[in-house]
Amino acid sequence: MLQMRNVAKRYGATVALENVNLDVKAGEVMALLGENGAGKSTLVKILAGLEQPDSGAIAIGGKPHNIGSPAQARAAGISYVAQELSIVGTLSVAENVFLGDQTVGLLRSPSSLARRAKPFLARIGLGDIDPSLPAEAFSVAERQLMEIARLLSREARIAILDEPTAALSEVEIDRVKTAVRTLAEEGCAIIYVTHRLGEVFELSHRVTIIRNGHSFAPVATSSLQVDGLIEMMLGRRLEQMFPPRAPSVGDKLLVVEDCLCQGLSSPVSFILRKGEMLGLAGQVGSGATAILKVLAGLTPLYRGSITLDGRPFTPRVIRDSIKMGVAYCSDDRKRDGVFAVRNLVENLSAPVIDQVSRFGLMNRRAETTHTQAVAQQFNIDINGLGRLAGNLSGGNQQKVALGKWIGISPSLLIVEEPTRGVDVGARAEIYRHLRAQTARGLAILFASSDTHEVLGLADTIGTFFQGEMVQIGSADAMTAEIITRDVTHPAVAA
Amino acid sequence: MTSIAIARKSIGRRTWRFASLAAVATIVIIAVVAGLTTPAFLTVGNGLVIIRAASMTGIVAIGMSYVTLSGNLFALSASALGALLAVIFALVTAQTDLPAGIAVVLVGAVLAGVLQGVAVNLTGNPIIATLAFGAVFRGLASVLSGNGVLRIHNTAAAWIGTARPLGVPTQSWTFVFLAAVSWLVIRKARLGRQIILSGANREAAVASGLRVNIVTCLALVMLSVGVAIVAIFTVAQFSEARSNLFSGYDFDYIAAVLVGGIALRGGQGTPLQAALGAVLIALLENFMLLNNVSGGLLMTVVGTVVVGAISVFHLLQGKNR
Amino acid sequence: MNCFNPRRDLAARLAMMIAIYAIFAARLPSYYTIPGVASLLDGAFLTGVIALGVGLTMIAGEMDLSVGSMAALAGIISIKLAPLGILPAIVVTTALAAVVGAAQGWCIAWLRINSLIFTVGTLIAFRGLALLISNEQTANISLDQLDATDFLSVHWFFVSPLSLILLIAALVISVFCSRTLWGREIFSIGGGRAEARAAGVPMGRPLIIAFALSAALAALAGAVLSLQAGSATPLGFDAVLLDAVTACLIGGVALRGGRGSVLGIIIGLFTLRFLVSGIASLGAPFWAQSLASGALLIALILVEGGYYAFARRRAFAKSRLAAG
Repeated sequence: MLQMRNVAKRYGATVALENVNLDVKAGEVMALLGENGAGKSTLVKILAGLEQPDSGAIAIGGKPHNIGSPAQARAAGISYVAQELSIVGTLSVAENVFLGDQTVGLLRSPSSLARRAKPFLARIGLGDIDPSLPAEAFSVAERQLMEIARLLSREARIAILDEPTAALSEVEIDRVKTAVRTLAEEGCAIIYVTHRLGEVFELSHRVTIIRNGHSFAPVATSSLQVDGLIEMMLGRRLEQMFPPRAPSVGDKLLVVEDCLCQGLSSPVSFILRKGEMLGLAGQVGSGATAILKVLAGLTPLYRGSITLDGRPFTPRVIRDSIKMGVAYCSDDRKRDGVFAVRNLVENLSAPVIDQVSRFGLMNRRAETTHTQAVAQQFNIDINGLGRLAGNLSGGNQQKVALGKWIGISPSLLIVEEPTRGVDVGARAEIYRHLRAQTARGLAILFASSDTHEVLGLADTIGTFFQGEMVQIGSADAMTAEIITRDVTHPAVAA
Repeated sequence: MTSIAIARKSIGRRTWRFASLAAVATIVIIAVVAGLTTPAFLTVGNGLVIIRAASMTGIVAIGMSYVTLSGNLFALSASALGALLAVIFALVTAQTDLPAGIAVVLVGAVLAGVLQGVAVNLTGNPIIATLAFGAVFRGLASVLSGNGVLRIHNTAAAWIGTARPLGVPTQSWTFVFLAAVSWLVIRKARLGRQIILSGANREAAVASGLRVNIVTCLALVMLSVGVAIVAIFTVAQFSEARSNLFSGYDFDYIAAVLVGGIALRGGQGTPLQAALGAVLIALLENFMLLNNVSGGLLMTVVGTVVVGAISVFHLLQGKNR
Repeated sequence: MNCFNPRRDLAARLAMMIAIYAIFAARLPSYYTIPGVASLLDGAFLTGVIALGVGLTMIAGEMDLSVGSMAALAGIISIKLAPLGILPAIVVTTALAAVVGAAQGWCIAWLRINSLIFTVGTLIAFRGLALLISNEQTANISLDQLDATDFLSVHWFFVSPLSLILLIAALVISVFCSRTLWGREIFSIGGGRAEARAAGVPMGRPLIIAFALSAALAALAGAVLSLQAGSATPLGFDAVLLDAVTACLIGGVALRGGRGSVLGIIIGLFTLRFLVSGIASLGAPFWAQSLASGALLIALILVEGGYYAFARRRAFAKSRLAAG
């Protein structure tokens, strides 16, 4: 049904896909597996028409096809359920089911639309909801199911589901599985992207693994074991990327007790000591980043207690955290990490404007001294501090986004995805800089969906799956296999 | 990030340099062409007329540029606030004396700026928030003036409005002084840095612990103070105030900011560019006036230039910053 | 979680409108006599027709600031075109405006530029064009044609061509909004641009349609009123944007886009009209109207904006209570 040959895609200097082949037959569920950053999302976006490949060929039903836009993908019979929700909250459920569908007709009455949406909703277990209500009245999980209903309504020949179960609970996951099976039985070719190995074994016929922009020949799922699968996904990595651990762990700094917040389904407890690096491993939607957002003052704490240096710590805005010496670096540096149109000096001094100014005037000398000190610590070219942050590579931007916080001399540094969008060389450097900071007594709490990163960098590791902490323990007792199993399929480990 | 985006960005940076250079170059070209074709243009008297015209627009445009630089587009209330402050100034000055009038107007300006800042922060839509405040300011101006003409007889005020120290009008001295100060504020002051960072990336500014909401308020306060200065000068010059003063001037202020080439999404540029934009527009207006070209054509040209400039800069900067 | 209920929301707004009507009707006979009602309806024409268009762009998550200038420009053009006949002048002017508006929408979609920025530019340009075409003079219809425009001023009971046009425009836009694919696309890009794009909604079409309709409706209002009066000034219609936006916001069109209905806009329109003309009829001077609508708009945006800030604060307060 669908064939992709030698597809390649690069973003600037970063190679996302180098050489990918994919074959999906009609009536087959093809699981697409790979670590974060392996290139799965890029591949899926190319099929959905959201990105264009640099080279390679795509054939559908034996005929070569050019997928230039989401509309063309749709015309080619490709339907796509994105990882990010594509449900418009203000529209009704029925409208969302048929959203983007040009074939329903120009004239449409709300009641007939609702009637036509009903069977599709019923097939995904939403039969008893009123399709004329606005979608925002429903939970994230129900909205995710509406996306599947949309997929069903389009009677696609090829369906792509990109982590459709990330936000769902067991019951809802079962509904998705049933829908996927029915679709396959009706002759649809399905590409199923997931991090949950359980679903791979239950649903898929064959598995294609993507690693570092390359695809492996598809393997029949029945011939696979969990361990073998994990090994194929992980491959072999360069271990010297990570700096040696420095066990200079000091007093208790952060005590999190029985904390529940948005994104967690059961309470979390842990202790972080001065000079310690605690890594939370988990995929999108696993809750690994939830507590980080509370500590940064972005989301409220529902229940539980947090103390920092013995004092209660309940930040309500980011400024509260900063005042308490807690620095937060989000996973989206383009959005809130760097000022792309300003130079590095201004970027690095942004959190310390008050310290490098006197009587309301900027103290240029103090600012320069300060930024040069930070730049030296993070190995940023001192002579290039006049450059715009937006002109730097991803790795250097990340160094700026992290380095600016060193200036406030924080006691705790919180980092989401420390090396997202950073190439391999710069990664090792960032790891080294972070480790060097812990030697000065800084405690670092980070969350990452990269197993190797958590394993190689952290002193203590917590693993997350579906809003729960699976386990937390010393890194010495962990292996890549254990972490990967915890974050993809903890039932097997138990 | 793609290399194209990077290339676009460096082009973008050059564009802004180019934009301010282009403004200066256009000013020179217009001056030369006008001087060659229109004898009345290159006289000292006309020069002073141009500078005074540019000053009154320019002082407000400098204030407006803080709002734009801080990432809040424009305020559509400047002209109405000007009328309100002019009326207040005339009332207070007539009943007490000049210093009291100036003090009350400045306090009123700060208050107006803070109130609008709060509204802008709450709504996230500066245009609508200031549009509403504009209507209220204009209405209050009518209420306070009884919709009539308020006259003042104050020699000190008259001096402020009409004096020409060293042959140059007080308005123009103030304009030059404020332009210099504004450059210092943006380049040297902490507040200027905060304005620039808030405009460059609001989310990142919040994440860095900047009080973006307060910065927005202060930007609007600075605009209001600029408006207050112009209101005082205008009342002082003509010794009268009316509630329909400055009617329709908002777009002159905005045009000056836009023609000066200040980045509309904030975070790039200096108030000096707005000052240059004001001079450029005043030159154009004067030249066309001397040649009996209609104000309509001028406005069309300015509007088209604005739309064109917005689009071209936007494209050069890359569609997705 | 409290879910937004459009019906209940509209009912509350309707109740407010009726309450305001009742308050003034108790004091002003003109609120229920036939000529009084007719003038109320005619007075709502300009703001109403323009609010329909501006409301559409607001629902799309954008805003067309250029409507006032467009109305003035259309007024001048329609007077110049009057020798063709009154109806053709209106139709041609409206069609021209639709094309210009579509081009504006296309530019905004293609450049992916903030429409507030873009339409500030066109606002200046259209006004300049109006001044240019009219030679900065008030444009007057020729005397022998004056009779031909009389049909715009007739009344049958309280119905006039103006109120009919408003009614028809409201009905057409209403059907378009709620029952057509293109109309729903406008709602979808306003409710969630990224989500709608991911679902396969084209970005260009809804923007082009919204801005074309907004310009066309503004031109329709400007042309009809100018022809009815027999003259147009290039500086007219400068306050209409404020009233139109206020009517939309009273009627429940969200500043953030995605929400709103024609019925709501009409309710908002008459709430505003009842209030403003009531104040005027009670003897307040004309500037009290601008004060009233400005203050009303400030109150509205503060309530809408304040709600989000309040909701966030409450979430944190609740959690602190639970944690403590």
